[in-house]
Amino acid sequence: MGVIELNDVTKKYIVHKDKRVTLKEKVLFGFRSAKEEYVALDGVSINIEPGLTVGIVGRNGSGKSTMLKLISRIIYPTSGSVKVRGKVSSLLELGAGFHPDFTGRENIYMNASILGFSKKEIDRMLDKIIEFSELEAFIDNPLRSYSSGMYMRLAFSVAISVDPDILLIDEILAVGDVSFQKKCINRLKELKRNKKTIVIVSHDNLTLEQLCDQIIWLKDGKVHKTGPAKEVINDYIDFMSKAEGRKHDLKQRVQQNADASEKQGQAQKPEPENPKPGNRWGNEKIKIVDVRICGRDMAERYSFNSGESVIFKIAYEMVEKTEDVVFGFRITTHDGINCYGSNTYLDQVSFGELPMSGTVCCKIDRLDLVEGNYLLDFAIVQMDGTAYDYYCGGYSIQVMSKTRDTGIAKLPHAWFVEKNGT
Amino acid sequence: MSRLKELYLYRQMLSSLVLTDLRTRYKGSVLGFLWTFLNPLLMLIVYTFVFSNILRANIENYPMFLFVAILPWIFFQSSVQNSINIIIRNGNMVKKIYFPREVLPISAVAGGAVNYLFGLMILIPALLIFGISIKATILLIPVILLIQSLLTLGISFAVAALNVYFRDVEHIVSFMLQLGFYVTPIIFPVNLFPEKFQPFFKLNPLTGIMEAYRDVMIYGKIPEMSFFVIHGMLGFIVLIIGWVIFYSLQKNFADEL
Repeated sequence: MGVIELNDVTKKYIVHKDKRVTLKEKVLFGFRSAKEEYVALDGVSINIEPGLTVGIVGRNGSGKSTMLKLISRIIYPTSGSVKVRGKVSSLLELGAGFHPDFTGRENIYMNASILGFSKKEIDRMLDKIIEFSELEAFIDNPLRSYSSGMYMRLAFSVAISVDPDILLIDEILAVGDVSFQKKCINRLKELKRNKKTIVIVSHDNLTLEQLCDQIIWLKDGKVHKTGPAKEVINDYIDFMSKAEGRKHDLKQRVQQNADASEKQGQAQKPEPENPKPGNRWGNEKIKIVDVRICGRDMAERYSFNSGESVIFKIAYEMVEKTEDVVFGFRITTHDGINCYGSNTYLDQVSFGELPMSGTVCCKIDRLDLVEGNYLLDFAIVQMDGTAYDYYCGGYSIQVMSKTRDTGIAKLPHAWFVEKNGT
Repeated sequence: MSRLKELYLYRQMLSSLVLTDLRTRYKGSVLGFLWTFLNPLLMLIVYTFVFSNILRANIENYPMFLFVAILPWIFFQSSVQNSINIIIRNGNMVKKIYFPREVLPISAVAGGAVNYLFGLMILIPALLIFGISIKATILLIPVILLIQSLLTLGISFAVAALNVYFRDVEHIVSFMLQLGFYVTPIIFPVNLFPEKFQPFFKLNPLTGIMEAYRDVMIYGKIPEMSFFVIHGMLGFIVLIIGWVIFYSLQKNFADEL
């Protein structure tokens, strides 16, 4: 028997186009104002066994938060039934009831009381909460003297120190600095060991994979897939990378076109001192007419898993024939760090005589970058560096990774224990 | 019944809300919490001055006559007025956190009651100063206060819930409160009104309550048994009706806000 049971639960929201809230309006226009139904959850049935940690994933608007609100009884289903057994603590909002004029200590009482704890219970938890927040020195200062980080730490400490049977968490793991986050994760693991039932909504797939036993993947208000964490998360990441790619692509094309026509007039300008993403300059004797970024299968996309092959296809047009042509690319992070760049001159590649228009490709066998978004520069220049057409940061790609390594480049590596004598 | 048990679990939230309200009401003022006492005291001084020097009423000890009734009226009025918007004011909490929503209007009424008790600390010495001998009947004040609280809470539940759906309720209720001040024997005794209107006054449950307060504080009389029975039951019925309205509407609070 599950501690949380949702049976064929549907939740519809009525979206009032023009909300009538006064009696006059309701009488004059009737209660049937222009409204649209929005189905947030559509016939969802789930059953969560006690002691499990369950993650809910899904894109924005897929019904994740609605599900948590239903479980916590903030809202009620339009049809179907929600059964919850045990004391629920829902951390959908941090620092509820916090008052800036009261001290940290008083606010702990206020906040915990809203979560349904008695004075006695709070007295017992108080030291633990203060210790967890690492705010011992400030706890008797009024809350308004706290920095926003301290505020969140206090709020989170109260939330995480409570001892319910069922804990609901919505997207609040990203609090405080890295060490505090680690503490929070550890506390969740402790609750997990104590056989508490935890339901987490998060976009942080890696943390979910670490913490959860089960994942429920919601798609358009329906349960798309449910199962062991690793399996569902991997499917979900794959799905997301495809979906993201498509979206990315569309947006980027429009932007690029607009940029290109806008930049035409100033194309003759000399190279700016600090090229900014989106800048384009050169004498236009050779022009970049199009760049396509493709995967191994030659299909255009803008989202890659780390380590995949990538092919850049640079389409050009020449105004006058010349052999003094160098094609180049450069990958930078959004904050302008140069990750890698090269060109046909440096790579000592020569195409001989190129046709007046055509496409030059560059294949990267392994895109060993860490997860993140990267900007791409493409350029056609003369051997002495004079630009024909330099398009800085005109394209961007997203790199996704299943590991959480840091930095820019993934260096191939392996770990081993040194053996005696070798 | 299980709802009551749940409310009991949230008693700490209730007391936190009331305390916060009391402590922050006079936030930023120099005298701060003292205003809780100063307000009724200043009111008393004004009434005494006005009614013993400017308007001479034919009622013995008129300032006290007025003061004894006006404090419970303020309790009633401020509780209802605070309740009207209390769900909307705390919308953020209602939308994000589960707690029995009843806690909010209850906190408004409890806050009003606590303020009334502070008012009594001014009122009772004032009665002595004005030469009214206090009898043991004032021990009945808690009973009358309880009856009044039941009634007030019932009305507060209803207006708090209805106002989420129809924001007009707010304006209708403030008008009703203004009217209520004159159809409740606060500034006049009932017998000062024309004979033919008097039965209508009796219909107002607050009439009996105001008279009971005067009986126990000024006249040293025990109100008739029928008062306790009728008004006690009435208060209870109003509370149940108000609660039922509130309970059936509260499920959609989070969606409506």
